[in-house]
Amino acid sequence: MPAISCQGLTKRYGSIVALDNLALTVEDRVIFGFLGPNGAGKTTALKIFTGLSKPTSGRAWVAGEEVVSHSRSLQSKIGYLPEEPAFYNWMTGREYLVFVGQLFSLSSKDIKKRCGELLELVDLSRDASRRVSGYSRGMRQRLGIAQALMNKPAVLFLDEPCSALDPLGRAEVLDTLVRLKEQATTVFMSSHILADVERVCDTVGIIDRGRLVVESGVEELRQRFAHPVFEIEFEQAAAPVVGLLESLPWVENVNAGEEGNLFKLRVTARDIATAKVELPKVIARSGLTLRQYQMVLPTLEEVFIELVGNKKE
Amino acid sequence: MSNFFVLFKKEFKGQLKTYRFLIVVALFFVFGLGTPLLLKYLHVLIPAQDSVIGIPEFTAADAVQSFISSLGQLGLVAAVLVAMGSVAGERESGTAAMTLSKPVGSGSFILAKLAALSATFGAAIIVGAAGCYLYTVVLFGNPGGFKFLAACLLGALYLLFCLAVTVMYSAFVRSSIAAGGLSFVTLVAIAGTAGLPGIKYYSPGVLVSWAEDIAMSGGPNSWWVLAVSIALIILVIVTGWRVFKAKEL
Repeated sequence: MPAISCQGLTKRYGSIVALDNLALTVEDRVIFGFLGPNGAGKTTALKIFTGLSKPTSGRAWVAGEEVVSHSRSLQSKIGYLPEEPAFYNWMTGREYLVFVGQLFSLSSKDIKKRCGELLELVDLSRDASRRVSGYSRGMRQRLGIAQALMNKPAVLFLDEPCSALDPLGRAEVLDTLVRLKEQATTVFMSSHILADVERVCDTVGIIDRGRLVVESGVEELRQRFAHPVFEIEFEQAAAPVVGLLESLPWVENVNAGEEGNLFKLRVTARDIATAKVELPKVIARSGLTLRQYQMVLPTLEEVFIELVGNKKE
Repeated sequence: MSNFFVLFKKEFKGQLKTYRFLIVVALFFVFGLGTPLLLKYLHVLIPAQDSVIGIPEFTAADAVQSFISSLGQLGLVAAVLVAMGSVAGERESGTAAMTLSKPVGSGSFILAKLAALSATFGAAIIVGAAGCYLYTVVLFGNPGGFKFLAACLLGALYLLFCLAVTVMYSAFVRSSIAAGGLSFVTLVAIAGTAGLPGIKYYSPGVLVSWAEDIAMSGGPNSWWVLAVSIALIILVIVTGWRVFKAKEL
């Protein structure tokens, strides 16, 4: 059973369509990256999944339950971190976590234990007795992550979880997400930081103007949008191979160059499938010493720009 | 009533920590003590030769009536100022979304706010009334315990109505200032209906003048006003809750 799914999810604010017939499925125990430009509908979708907003039409299911606005049963199974977490500034960090624990009806003993674990996890133990009003943006973000984990949620919704964090903080949060996945939590995160998504997410969904453009595994997506270009490095001069390659029907062109003692070829294929099979054979027959061979795969950022950026033009 | 007590505790603690409780109690205490004191020594503050009209001799009933009148005016302003951001402020800042993404009912969320505000104003009325009663007894003589209590209870009910209306408007709009403005205009308009024929027998605006009448002479009973006020408090809170529930957070 998928952890999250929706069908025909549409949300309109007057004449503005924030979500347009969204349909996606997120499998259990994965980290799902939800990508899209500003105003694409990511936060709207997150609010609907967490029961904070009602869809105009369509249905959604989270953790085995149909999403109904303000469903307490659903909310006891999920964790939610909004893009800019807000706290009662008169509370200390620990007081806020205790308050959240009480909202989940945890016992005093469990709350105390869980608070200690979470404060340690987000590195706020030393600042737990300080008022939240004195916290930096990064500290507030980390407290936000801690409160979202208080009930050990089956599904965790994070809206831009790393946006306010420094590189070290980001790395720690991403490691935490991977650990949570290993502990059977499904993580649904929206993010602008594509390198983070590429690093931890198993699958991604790209949304633009309320519509899902693509939903796929990260690696599969990169392969799908791979450029038909192969980079090859030899330790010897590659002139004989260049001539051979240029005569082959599945090769479009070959660029040769030198870099120090290395001879580099950049082969653009006309037929990528044939090139993937035949090019290694050509190299093997050449007798040259191969230093590096790779198909040029796009980064997630390049895929994102190709999918979303092209439509904006 | 999911998590009502957790939310109530949080609300009340918030009022203590942000000094709203202290300020409201101190305000009521000051005008509770100050009202009989002012009436007793008004002729000293404004000597007879400086006054265009003569200053009458005030009685214990006058002191209580004046206290109840202050409760209706200053209390209204204090209630609106303290309650106007109760829900709107949380929606504006985003704390409402954080809290309501947990297993919390929107009814409990609204009711806990009204209950905590009522507790603060209840404590303030008790402290203010105790001060007023003590000084009235000392300076003028006993105003009559039962009449005093009845007048204060009616004043408290009026403030509960003011709080309920303000919490309702606070649930309607995202801006605290707008909620405060709407509440103030509505409550002043309702207070104005106290003199209108027909409506004056049912309007919550009559609660304060009824309380003043009780303090002065025992006054006629206006049970319909009591019943309508309680019904309106319930209606106002249910409306606030229903509207808030339908809102996007």
